[in-house]
Amino acid sequence: MHLQNAEDIIIAKDVDKIYPNGCHALKKVSASIKKGEVVVIIGPSGSGKSTFLRTLNQLETISSGSIVIDQVDMYGKNTNINKLREHVGMVFQSFNLFPHKSALHNVMMAPLKVSKRAKSEVEEHAKALMKKVGLAERMNNYPSQLSGGQQQRVAIARALCMKPKIMLFDEPTSALDPEMVGEVLDVMKSLAKEGMTMVVVTHEMGFAREVADRVLFMEDGELLVEDTPDKFFHNPTHPRLQRFLSQVL
Amino acid sequence: MRSENRALWQSVYLVIVVAFCAVVYASSKHINYNWNWQRVVPYLINTEPQSVRAPFDGTAKVSTDDKTLTLVPDAGGEPVVVKKFSAISVNDGDLIFEGDQVATISNWRIGPITEGMITTLEISLASLVFAVIIGLFIGLGRISRNLAIRQLCITYIEIIRGTPLLVQIFIFYFFIGTVLSLDRFTAGVASLAVFTAAYVAEIVRSGIQSIPPGQMEAARSLGMTYVQAMVNVILPQAFKRTLPPMAGQFINLIKDSSLVSVISITDLTKAGREVVSATFAPFEVWFTVALLYLVMTGALSWMIQRLEKKLAASD
Ligand SMILES: Nc1ncnc2c1ncn2[C@@H]1O[C@H](COP(=O)(O)OP(=O)(O)O)[C@@H](O)[C@H]1O
Ligand SMILES: [Mg+2]
Repeated sequence: MHLQNAEDIIIAKDVDKIYPNGCHALKKVSASIKKGEVVVIIGPSGSGKSTFLRTLNQLETISSGSIVIDQVDMYGKNTNINKLREHVGMVFQSFNLFPHKSALHNVMMAPLKVSKRAKSEVEEHAKALMKKVGLAERMNNYPSQLSGGQQQRVAIARALCMKPKIMLFDEPTSALDPEMVGEVLDVMKSLAKEGMTMVVVTHEMGFAREVADRVLFMEDGELLVEDTPDKFFHNPTHPRLQRFLSQVL
Repeated sequence: MRSENRALWQSVYLVIVVAFCAVVYASSKHINYNWNWQRVVPYLINTEPQSVRAPFDGTAKVSTDDKTLTLVPDAGGEPVVVKKFSAISVNDGDLIFEGDQVATISNWRIGPITEGMITTLEISLASLVFAVIIGLFIGLGRISRNLAIRQLCITYIEIIRGTPLLVQIFIFYFFIGTVLSLDRFTAGVASLAVFTAAYVAEIVRSGIQSIPPGQMEAARSLGMTYVQAMVNVILPQAFKRTLPPMAGQFINLIKDSSLVSVISITDLTKAGREVVSATFAPFEVWFTVALLYLVMTGALSWMIQRLEKKLAASD
């Protein structure tokens, strides 16, 4: 495959996460993700998918193990987590757009405040991204004036404007009305085609089959299966994956 | 509501208000009170002409067109031309003695009640600014992850909210004021600011906590530091939500400022008390004072409402 010789951009080793309330959400999860790879994570609700994704940009800290992002140890002594996050974009289930700013300014805020890039350059970049996600006409709308699908596309543009090396998606279409799922998935597909490294938690099996290079299956905080979409969906060997697929497909 | 109903209840409201005023008026008649609003006016704005007095014994010379007044001293020396006046009170050739009124200047001066109101405004404004600054930091400290900071802020809030403002003003004036040699005004402003800040802090805290956690997560995931996320994302949204309770708190501040009269600051309330003893018109004075407080609080809540409307653009 085209990725065989690519280097690992995410290396998670023996990651354990125990929440302060005692919930053991991740149990010795290890996974490596290559540059340009699209990895889809599926699993039942409460299996630790979001927790794992959120450890990859340290929205959740880990209890033990290690995570290396682009050769930087996330928990290293000299690691600036804010710097690291600049290159790891995240898209949330609930969009989390900033409601007090117009769509365009949502996209422009972080590059201006965090990366301190020139305003004219950022504005041009942001407008190009808004066009790319098909919202050139809605740049000056506030989030409350946009549909769910439009908001999620703005959220993707917002993350892209930081020029990330990795994009994390946590159930990006789960909060959407069915007729809006397609427009968001289309944006994600084109992003995958351009070679973006993506880690996607989703229930959209069609997306996983079509776009993913690899599919991971999590249950009860454990990473049980890692496989190509073809084997994953058509020749599942793990009994718990078989049971899960028989429930959802 | 249907329109005829509206008109009906509008008139019921007016009737009740008029009836209430009539009751107030009737009860004052009952105790033989003579309303004399006229007496309050000079204490608001003093339009009484001021005297221009002769600086020495001498003779007055008034030009035929009544435009210039010259005073010639008896003891010799340069004559003095009175420059500013609006009416001459002497005739040409009159003998004048030192201290005599030779002319008057009509001059609008603010009366003691207005001066008191200005003092109240100054105190309220100064303490409001400090209360917001202190309150913001205490409110942020209240939700800090650092236990020491959090507990310090909680202690501050509990102590301030658990003791009467009047007592705090005395402590500020007699204890802290003496230790740091603060003047009355500073002590008054400090106590009001510290008091109001405790309430502002709680408003700030609940405002911040009312913002969904996803906002902070989104901001942090874009690489913003905690402070950048607060400044650019959380606080602007919280600010909008805290405006209504803030308005209430600021109105309380204006009213609470009347308590500083106990440390002899001549604010609106103290001015009212002084004017009452000078005029013996307590009802008129206190009604006037109440009205002036109402004007200040009303203006403030009007301004905040306008700001709210302006910020509602993104809703
Ligand atoms: N902030 C939290 N505090 C405590 N427990 C949590 C928290 N977030 C998630 N959990 C628990 O961790 C487990 C995994 O949750 P999550 O990662 O959200 O699963 P998924 O995204 O696969 O549905 C669940 O049992 C959930 O209850
Ligand atoms: Mg989840």
